[in-house]
Amino acid sequence: MRYVTPGTRLCFASEYEAGPGTYEREEYIYSSVVGIVQEFIPTVSTNTGEEKKQSKIITVSKEKHQSSIPDVGNIITGKVIRMTTREAVVSIMVVGNIPCKDDYQGIIRSQDVRATEKDKVKIIESYRLGDIVKAEVISLGDARSYYLSTAKNEYGVIYAQSVAGAMMVPISWQNMQCTKTKAVELRKCAKPEDLFSKNQ
Amino acid sequence: MSTQTYEAETFRKLQPQEYLRKFLLKEVRPDGRELKQFRQTTVNLGCISTTNGSSLVRIGNTTVVCGIKAEVSVPKQTSTKEGYLVPNVELSPMCSPKFKPGPPSEHAQVLSENINRLLKSASILDLNTLCIHEGSAVWVLYADIVCVNYDGNVFDACVIGLITALSNVKLPKATFAEEEGLVKATEELLIPLNLSRLPYPATFSIFDGQYLLVDPTEVEESVAHEVITIICDEAGQICTVWKVGGISCTPKHLEKCISIARERYIEIAAIVENEEKSNNLI
Amino acid sequence: MADRRRIQGPEVSVAPIILKSPNKIQLLDENLCRRNGRNLEDIRSIYLKTGLISQANGSAFIELSKTKIVCGVYGPRQTKIPAFSGKGNLNCEIKFAPFSCPKRRPPYRDSQEKELSQLIYEALTPSIRLDLLPKSTIDIYITILENDGTASCLAAAITCASVAVADAGIEMLDLVPACSASYINGQIFMDSDLIEEKRESGSLVLSYMPSLKEITHILQSGEVELNLTSQAIEQCTDSCSKIYSIMIDSLLLPIQNMK
Repeated sequence: MRYVTPGTRLCFASEYEAGPGTYEREEYIYSSVVGIVQEFIPTVSTNTGEEKKQSKIITVSKEKHQSSIPDVGNIITGKVIRMTTREAVVSIMVVGNIPCKDDYQGIIRSQDVRATEKDKVKIIESYRLGDIVKAEVISLGDARSYYLSTAKNEYGVIYAQSVAGAMMVPISWQNMQCTKTKAVELRKCAKPEDLFSKNQ
Repeated sequence: MSTQTYEAETFRKLQPQEYLRKFLLKEVRPDGRELKQFRQTTVNLGCISTTNGSSLVRIGNTTVVCGIKAEVSVPKQTSTKEGYLVPNVELSPMCSPKFKPGPPSEHAQVLSENINRLLKSASILDLNTLCIHEGSAVWVLYADIVCVNYDGNVFDACVIGLITALSNVKLPKATFAEEEGLVKATEELLIPLNLSRLPYPATFSIFDGQYLLVDPTEVEESVAHEVITIICDEAGQICTVWKVGGISCTPKHLEKCISIARERYIEIAAIVENEEKSNNLI
Repeated sequence: MADRRRIQGPEVSVAPIILKSPNKIQLLDENLCRRNGRNLEDIRSIYLKTGLISQANGSAFIELSKTKIVCGVYGPRQTKIPAFSGKGNLNCEIKFAPFSCPKRRPPYRDSQEKELSQLIYEALTPSIRLDLLPKSTIDIYITILENDGTASCLAAAITCASVAVADAGIEMLDLVPACSASYINGQIFMDSDLIEEKRESGSLVLSYMPSLKEITHILQSGEVELNLTSQAIEQCTDSCSKIYSIMIDSLLLPIQNMK
């Protein structure tokens, strides 16, 4: 295994294509992170069935992970920290599977809560303060926040406390029931799939 | 890293209290310690040569550096022989993501104020011994404590750092030249301070009103809001009991804390003595 | 004005006048050897370690005999600046511990710290791939625990910060070692300490990306002849290459030991 640091010259740019963790400058490819050098040949078969010849890609897999930052298409987990009639503000705590060291701010606008009947959505009937939600990043948003969406079935509230302070379980895509008082509260639930289950 | 550890990390981030509770049910703590186990503590004396006395203290990952510099000033009108001892704690944004640049945060102010109160109420150093010339010149000892890594229980580290740095202080031989109104000092530093007692602290956190966590880390401190600090001296006398935040604690807990604090005193005293010995050999 | 947020001492205090022995310290002996046994072109031995601050994303500690500097890197994290930016934002802050210099420094930020922060920012910015980090900020905080020569301190701080950034896993073009030199009586003293620095007529601090052979920052002060400057630049780039290998070792050793 070959360990490298930023700035290590890896190879000629004519031999390989620069993948993640590397960059090309003049006729060479250099590493841009601390990690292990890896190379692979992408196998992309075109729709005509012919194997298209691809050049080899060289990458450096990060040995030290950078604190994760959200990007469009990422799945995030976060906590609802503020609500208005038009949007819910979410503190993004986990991107993909990697927790962020510092929280980022995201917004779920009312039109992004669910896929159908967007005009009838009421934020208060979808989320409450303190709920843990799973959502998708749909744009880098404005200067302050990322825009998030829970329109897909698998996104929405994954953990919530009822008014009585007990945990709630989802009973349909828009209802959750308190485990203690059996009271039903409105939420936009994520399709149940236990986040912390070990049998995945 | 495997996905398993990622999941644990995710769980910790989203449900910190639940995460800690799961560990405590099995009588261990997230870093593998027992409930009443302190983290490894090291003391390094005289590490900064621009000071009159210095000490670097590490408790687990928590690291603080205390440096003491002596300057000369005029004593107060009311107490013409008394010198000054000025402790300040600095929690820079470097040591934790919680702190922002700028003037001392409330947290830092509380730490400084508590340490100042400890110095005064436990009369660790007789300020009259800092006199150079009565009514005209006294020593001012600036004790600045810089936190390098904030991983919980910083107060303990600060107090140990301050006390050991004070015992490391060497002052030059100084004379007051009356006609010029100046203090002249020798280049070599020789005179140690005369400390009347050497108190060391022990800090505890109470989680869920029942688990007594000794020497909490940053993760534990952020979810267990009840903190008890007990400072005792070489005779086992208690100098300070300090309890902040949260709900009440039972007398039984308090008694247990005090007995652990006394054991901890012996442990720290041994560490410091070892370091002093090896320091003198060099 | 009294600062209520700190414990206050007396209003005025001064360092005592030190009675020094009258003989002047000789910087060089007859064999052109310096006080601590090194030659004119030698730098002090360096101790460099990463990962000291567990709370930070990346950190490093550097020790050049007496000089001691710690650096913590936080980020990339959400930027506090209100305007949208497709590029990351770099923020550098350097702080002298109050006890780090022969004279006590007041605890609040002074103009020298602001100047040094700006210099470090300029030296590091070309090396970091900020275009990959939209809407984010990288904060670099540096504390000088002991200062033994300001120019060499600045150079060591740049070296240390660059390693800490790499330790944080942030993508960069190259590591940036930095080195300083002093001009004293028409001679070049590499990596001068505080006593040598007091006698200098000028100094040079150079930051260099050895792999790309590019200079990111150069700062010359004082009055020097042109050919002496070009000689100093050459010597500094040579020393930077030596420091570079120490930086690489400090980053790779912890990983190799883990496996």
